[in-house]
Amino acid sequence: MTWNLTQLISASNVYVPRTIVAVKKTCIETVLNMEQFFTLPFALLEVPPIRLKKPSWLKQPSPMLVFSLVLFSYFLVTGGIIYDVIVEPPSVGSTTDEHGHSRPVAFMPYRVNGQYIMEGLASSFLFSVGGLGFIILDNVHSQTMPRLNRFLMTAIGFICVIVSFFTTWVFMKMKLPGYLQN
Amino acid sequence: MSQAGTKKGAVSKLNRNAAINSLIICVVLLLAWVAGFASRLFAVIRFESIIHEFDPWFNYRATAYMVKHGFYNFLNWFDERAWYPLGRIVGGTVYPGLMITSGSIHYILHLLNINVHIRDICVFLAPIFSGLTAISTYLLTRELWSSGAGLFAACFIAIVPGYISRSVAGSYDNEGIAIFALQFTYFLWIKSVKTGSVFWAVAASLSYFYMVSAWGGYVFIINLIPLHVFVLLLMGRYSNRLFTSYTTFYILGLVMSMQIPFVGFQPIRTSEHMAAAGVFALLFAVAVLKYLQSMMSKSEFKFLVIWGGSLAAGLVFATVVALTYAGYIAPWSGRFYSLWDTGYAKIHIPIIASVSEHQPTTWFSFFFDLHVLIATFPAGLWYCIKHVNDERVFVILYALSAVYFAGVMVRLMLTLTPVVCMLSGIAFSILLELYLREEDSGPSEIEGDESTQGGKRLYDKAGKAPKIKHEQVKEQDPIGPNIRSIAAVVLVLLLMLFVVHCTWVTSNAYSSPSIVLASYGSDGTRQILDDFREAYFWLSQNTADDARVMSWWDYGYQIAGMANRTTLVDNNTWNNSHIALVGKAMSSNESAAYEIMTALDVDYVLVIFGGVIGYSGDDINKFLWMVRIAEGEHPKDIRESDYFTEQGEFRIDAEGSQILLNCLMYKLSYYKFGELRLDYRSPAGFDRTRNAVIGNKDINLTYLEEAYTSEHWLVRIYRVKKPDEFNRPRIPVANRVIKSSSFISKKNSKRKKGLIKNKPVVIKGKRSQ
Repeated sequence: MTWNLTQLISASNVYVPRTIVAVKKTCIETVLNMEQFFTLPFALLEVPPIRLKKPSWLKQPSPMLVFSLVLFSYFLVTGGIIYDVIVEPPSVGSTTDEHGHSRPVAFMPYRVNGQYIMEGLASSFLFSVGGLGFIILDNVHSQTMPRLNRFLMTAIGFICVIVSFFTTWVFMKMKLPGYLQN
Repeated sequence: MSQAGTKKGAVSKLNRNAAINSLIICVVLLLAWVAGFASRLFAVIRFESIIHEFDPWFNYRATAYMVKHGFYNFLNWFDERAWYPLGRIVGGTVYPGLMITSGSIHYILHLLNINVHIRDICVFLAPIFSGLTAISTYLLTRELWSSGAGLFAACFIAIVPGYISRSVAGSYDNEGIAIFALQFTYFLWIKSVKTGSVFWAVAASLSYFYMVSAWGGYVFIINLIPLHVFVLLLMGRYSNRLFTSYTTFYILGLVMSMQIPFVGFQPIRTSEHMAAAGVFALLFAVAVLKYLQSMMSKSEFKFLVIWGGSLAAGLVFATVVALTYAGYIAPWSGRFYSLWDTGYAKIHIPIIASVSEHQPTTWFSFFFDLHVLIATFPAGLWYCIKHVNDERVFVILYALSAVYFAGVMVRLMLTLTPVVCMLSGIAFSILLELYLREEDSGPSEIEGDESTQGGKRLYDKAGKAPKIKHEQVKEQDPIGPNIRSIAAVVLVLLLMLFVVHCTWVTSNAYSSPSIVLASYGSDGTRQILDDFREAYFWLSQNTADDARVMSWWDYGYQIAGMANRTTLVDNNTWNNSHIALVGKAMSSNESAAYEIMTALDVDYVLVIFGGVIGYSGDDINKFLWMVRIAEGEHPKDIRESDYFTEQGEFRIDAEGSQILLNCLMYKLSYYKFGELRLDYRSPAGFDRTRNAVIGNKDINLTYLEEAYTSEHWLVRIYRVKKPDEFNRPRIPVANRVIKSSSFISKKNSKRKKGLIKNKPVVIKGKRSQ
């Protein structure tokens, strides 16, 4: 631990040269004890000549970046990616019709706890589009936007919301044919 | 639907004055409570006031015991009727919060001379608590954003299917009250972080104590709150408020949670709780560094804080790892471990993987349980990330972790639901403020509203920023009235469809007691199948009081609760090897099973068979799990591959594997079924659940005999014969000696016919006139 501490202080030494001197100058009276505490390790250890810097890419990410990552992981999780990893279903199912031809089936009907990979991704894509639609609707009140753009943005937002909503509805109907009946 | 309308009204009228404001809030919350309560009553209205499913039966039985014998006897209750021959220490293996809650309601009502049966309290407890959940969600969302968002969130959580699935009337389970405790603890935590007062922190830890007593999901709280603190530290948002609230909360919460017998020393001994302790130490390290900072020059200490903080974090982590290796701290338990390594349970712990609610979630469940909220949830998250502050960091972390956990297990949709409701409430509230606010409602009124609310809570900055923004927008360039009305219509339409969906799902998917089944004919007539209660009642009336009943663990609680008989295994799956033994008995042939059954003193065997009515949740469909669990403990005797055909299929017809066709479960399920012809179109022995004719039609039982089969063959009970009943040597008929008695008949060859006096003479072939 002590070595680590010296390393730290050495690091800060590099960052702000001659810190110890600075400390001495600024608060000699108040922190005499503190100063001893800090200088004590240097009686035993030599400051290693290393340069530690905070890497330039390490900074608090912007809200937009955070949100994009969040939305992407949300897209994956709501698409049942964990289910896909564990259960390993086929990407698209297939069935044999009355003529003996094999036909692809996109949705696993009647199975609430089962899915194919593609149907999960398609639906979670719709969820995300719906979410983006709501966010676009919010952006309408930016002040610099001309009137036409504002109208277009609103239209796009609503189209996103409505399309995603009704397509999901259709998916539900395919998945569960008795949906919202009786 | 009524409350959706009120909500609209609420949001537009919120800007009048404080009195109307609070009146509307009260009315909306009350309506949300009523709507939530009412929509949970489908099962009671369709069937009767009855406890549902499996676990609630144990909770009900324990509650009834506590009400009858008192709290201390309940804590010391050793239940010898479960897990025969081991028994179960109920007081030490149960979260008692649920029983105490309904027991105290019962006590208070009886003090007031309102005589309510404890069963009715148990049945209606979860719907009543859903209203409290709505209120605490309102409070939490108000702290995070604004009152309007809070009202939306309260209305959403009152009717959202993801929460209703666990809290319909009769579903008397821990989750019903735990979600309330969860939301309320979070509300108090946010409050304490905002104010930095010890009072709110103590209140939060008290609420946490209630949560610990109610549900094992308290681990979510004790990991999320430290995570919140940790992320705030990383973001450089350390404050004295944070220090006060977390240290108070952690110490009090730790001490109080250890008072629950079932939790005991876990909070200081298991890995699940170590994150909290680590953050506690880290917070102190940061506080010390901050203190040092006040004494020294600034620029290098910015670095020192960051590096010292991360070093302290690393040190704490290393300590925890070292202690775990040294054995002082128990590693993650399987159920939690499977949350991280998602394939873990499938490979190592089949008993966890066998429960259907532990399956990973598909897209369908997300939409089914949340509907339109699934799309507004990212929007609400976006607002929180955009206008981030201390408490919104919390809700962001809550959202992210809950989404992940919900993806891993269907069951954890329950913890996702409240945060989805909160964030959707925020999104809807902002959108409606944007599109529905009247032009004439000037900025002055808005300011007035804000100040009246601000009078109560001066610290609250939530909700101001977006409002101010679009006030300016409106002054410059209002959104046209056409778009306004279209937007209103679309949003209201979405909410209406949400309500329709919620009601439909509640009515069709989540309101079945699963004790009583209902089938609907083509003309809409309803037929009630009450086989479970019929069979359990038979058990309670016709078997000895100490009879031991062997069944698969799913039915353990029901047998104990309804038939009041001793069971071998039940839904408290604490002893895997015991369950594996039962699984082995079920999957062995009859003679091998008999050895196990005599070793375990089994008197009756109960199987659930759905082949007659097409009930898919029966024991044959669960059978592979029995084999897998048995194989885990007895790999020499039971092998899963033996039960498949050569093509690797699980078939019950003639092509199925011989080992399957002769194992005990198969024989007990299909005994005499080969003679039964269900209708004219299908052959005899046609299994409607699996759509196949059974492979083994003449089943003879040597060691067991059929004791009872319910009306629709759903429950079949067999008696295990005693050794003296079947191993008498069989004597051919010719050699049988019948004991001759000393009676000698007086009839000789002439007097063989007996006579009846005045017997009417029947002349055949003639019709009597």
